[in-house]
Amino acid sequence: MSNKYKSVFDIIGPIMIGPSSSHTAGAVQIGRIANKLFGKIPPKVTVHYYGSFAQTHRGHGTDYAIAAGIMGFLPHDSRVPLAPQIARQQGIDLRFVEESGDSPIHHPNTAILVMTDGNKQIKVSGCSIGGGAVEIREINLEGVEILPAGPLPIVIFRDYSKKMANALAINDDLEQKAPFSRRQVLRAPNCDIYVYDIQNKMQPATVTYFEEKYPTAICL
Amino acid sequence: MYESVKELVRTAEETKKSLSELVILAECQDSGLSRSKVWKRMQLNLATMRAAIERGENGAGVRSQTGLTGGEAIKIKKYRQQRTPLAGDAMMAAVENAIATNEVNAAMGVVCATPTAGSSGTLPGALFMLEKRLGLNEEQMIRFLFTAGGLGLIIANHAGIAGATGGCQEEVGSASAMAAAAAVEAAGGTPEQSSQALAIALSNLLGLVCDPIAGLVEIPCVKRNAIGAGNSLIAADLALAGCISKIPADECIMALDRVGRSMPVALRETGIGGLAGTPTGQTIKARIFGKRI
Repeated sequence: MSNKYKSVFDIIGPIMIGPSSSHTAGAVQIGRIANKLFGKIPPKVTVHYYGSFAQTHRGHGTDYAIAAGIMGFLPHDSRVPLAPQIARQQGIDLRFVEESGDSPIHHPNTAILVMTDGNKQIKVSGCSIGGGAVEIREINLEGVEILPAGPLPIVIFRDYSKKMANALAINDDLEQKAPFSRRQVLRAPNCDIYVYDIQNKMQPATVTYFEEKYPTAICL
Repeated sequence: MYESVKELVRTAEETKKSLSELVILAECQDSGLSRSKVWKRMQLNLATMRAAIERGENGAGVRSQTGLTGGEAIKIKKYRQQRTPLAGDAMMAAVENAIATNEVNAAMGVVCATPTAGSSGTLPGALFMLEKRLGLNEEQMIRFLFTAGGLGLIIANHAGIAGATGGCQEEVGSASAMAAAAAVEAAGGTPEQSSQALAIALSNLLGLVCDPIAGLVEIPCVKRNAIGAGNSLIAADLALAGCISKIPADECIMALDRVGRSMPVALRETGIGGLAGTPTGQTIKARIFGKRI
C-alpha cells in the first residue's frame, strides 16, 4: 500500500472553488508551493503542461488556479477565478505552454513551473494526483536538481555556512517533531541542501516553528 | 490509518467500536490534533456541502459559464413536487442533491471535494436525503463523513481517486462506494455490511471512463453523480438486506486499480475519447474553444 494520502481530510475535502479537484484545487497547491520555493511572488513564470493538464487546462480553470497559487491564494479563495487578471495587474509575466510529449515526471496531471526574477531561476515539477493532493517530484534550486519521493510534506534546509553542525540541529529537531522517512544531502555551489521526506502531515504550528527557527528551511 | 477494509472491519468487530469512531481515533493519532479540532473541521465540510446543495436548489439554480450545465436540479425539484418519481421520491431527492452540488461545482462555486470536485455530488446526494429519511442529527452526519473518508483513504492509497489516472470509476465509483458504506452505518448496519456495500457499489461502477466534453467537468460529470448517489443507496440496501459480494472489498479495490491502469489515455480525463469524442462532443468543444480540435 502506498502512503500517497495521509489524512481523512485528503478524501473529504478540500473545500474549494470548482470545477476540478486535481486540475483546479491541486493546481492551486502546485502554484502555492512554487511561491514558497521562490520566497515571494515570482515576476516571471512559464508553466509547462503535460498530459491531461495540457489537454484540458482551459476547461478546468488550471491557468487561473496556478496563477492564484503563485500569488499565495488558497483553493477556496473567491479571487481564484480572477487570478490571471490580478496577476497581470501586478505585472507578473505569466505564460502557459501545452507540451505534447510525455511528462518528465511520469504523471498525466503534470505542471512544470519555471520561475525567474533575472537573478535566480527556480524550477518545480509537480503533479496533481487526485482529490486536490499533489506530489513534487523534482525541484531545481540553487543550481542543483532535487528529487524528493513526491508526497508532501517535504522539508528543504539550505545551509549556506556548509557546516554539518547546523544540519544536525534541524535533523534532531525533525526527528522529534516531524519524523522523516528519507534524507538526502546535496552540494550546491553556495550551500548544502538537505531534503527530508516527512512521514505525516505537519500541523501549521509545526511548520511555523521550523520556519521561524530555521530561516533557510522551506516546509512544503 | 488502516491498511485494508478487512483490517478496519476486524478492528471494529474486536473493539465493538463503529467504523466512524475508529476513523476519528486514527485521524487524531496520525495528525496529532485533538478530537474537537478534527470534529470541527469535518463539521465545516458538512456545512459546505449543505450550502452547495442549497445554492443549486434555490430559485432558478445555477448555470455554468459555458451554459452546458445548470438548472436541472430545479427541474428535478419541480418534477418531484408535481409527479411521483418512478424510482421513488427518496431516490430522486438524492439525485436532486447530487446534481445541485455538481452544477454549483461546474459554475465555479464552492464545494467540498468528496473525494474529488468532479464527484463532489455523489456522497452529499445520498447523505442529505438520508438526513430526512432516517432523521439523522448533525453528529450522525459528521460520523457518516468520517466513515466515508476512512474507507476512501484505503481506496485512494491502493488504487486512486483521479480520472486522469484511473477513469471516473475512481472518482464517482469511489465516492459511491464510500457513501454506500457510510449509509449502512447510518442505518444501523454492521461494519461487515458496510464492507459489503462498499464492494457492491464499487463493482457496479467498475470500468466507468472519464470522458468530459471539451475537458470540462460538466458533461457527463454532473449526471454521473446522480448515478453515483443512486448506486450507493442500492448497494447499501443490498448489504442491509444481507446480500453478499462474492468478491471481498479489498479485492474490488485491487480490481479498480488494475482496470484503471489498463484504461487507454483517451478515456482518462483527456477530453478525447468516449462522449468527448462523439461528433456532438467535438462540435461543443469547437464552439467553446475555437477550431483547435
